[in-house]
Amino acid sequence: MLTVRSLLLALLLLSALAVARTRDLLSAAVIFAGYSLIMATVWQQLRAPDIALAEAAIGAGITSLLFIVTVARTGRYEK
Amino acid sequence: MDDLVLKVVARVIIPFIQVYGLYVVLHGHLSPGGGFAGGVILAGGFILYALAYGRPALDSLLPDRLAALLESGGVLWYTGLGLVGLLTGSAFLANARAGFPLGVPGRLFSGGIVFLLNLGIGLKVAATISTLFRNLQEEE
Amino acid sequence: MVQNLEYIAAMLLYVTGLGIMLFHSNLIKKIIGMNIMETAVFLIFIAAGYVRGGQPPIALPGEPLLLPVNPLPQALILTGLVVSVSITAYALALLREIYRHFGTLDAAEIARRKGELT
Repeated sequence: MLTVRSLLLALLLLSALAVARTRDLLSAAVIFAGYSLIMATVWQQLRAPDIALAEAAIGAGITSLLFIVTVARTGRYEK
Repeated sequence: MDDLVLKVVARVIIPFIQVYGLYVVLHGHLSPGGGFAGGVILAGGFILYALAYGRPALDSLLPDRLAALLESGGVLWYTGLGLVGLLTGSAFLANARAGFPLGVPGRLFSGGIVFLLNLGIGLKVAATISTLFRNLQEEE
Repeated sequence: MVQNLEYIAAMLLYVTGLGIMLFHSNLIKKIIGMNIMETAVFLIFIAAGYVRGGQPPIALPGEPLLLPVNPLPQALILTGLVVSVSITAYALALLREIYRHFGTLDAAEIARRKGELT
């Protein structure tokens, strides 16, 4: 239980740092979708199934989609 | 955008997405989820349809006028149900005291007003999120 | 230390999101950083309501709820989640207008062009 928790939180931090490091906005959006899925698992581990469902639908689905659509309409790489 | 794999997979997967979204909306008072989460899942199905088959397909399925109607209708539905409580002499959004039948706990048709409110919110959120996607995606 | 893992992780996530907002000049990147900060705040709230060995706060008929976790932060955070997605959508719509006007999403470049214009 403790190992799962610490592993999930470490993965969360790792993906947040990966978002910070990448210069490609499209991959930043995709890593953010993965971050949201890990976050949904953390919510489930903290016994909050309501938020886990909403986070999986919103964070991994809609928010990332809106980011990707905006990246497609503007530029893909940051300077 | 004309991808055969995406089209075939979307055709198989969209019915399941929509049924799951409706399940989450309808069982909002019994299990995790509710109007908002279920509505987002429903909108996800619509968006996948638009991505696989193009914008005109979605426009014929869910025209702008229908989406606008659902959006404002959801708010009116919520407020109207809340006003029923005021009209019957108790508070805004009153449940059992306004005469809504409570039913047997654990059944689908229970909880009185909560079931109806979730239905309205689910439809409104589905329409809003797909409109959001359409407006952000459209060309200049 | 071990029981406060979520608090420590939330703190580090908040700092990471703040760093993304401060040190990247691209506006889309700033919004992603803002989203990460939001989830860090949500994590603190939910971890504060967690009870060790607790059950999800969902009542099933005929089954007593022995040790539920605190449902109040969960209800608050569900609202926060809705607000966060609305703010993100609004900010992205604004970004499209900015891009249409300036042709770039780089904050430093936009500031320079605004200086040229005035």
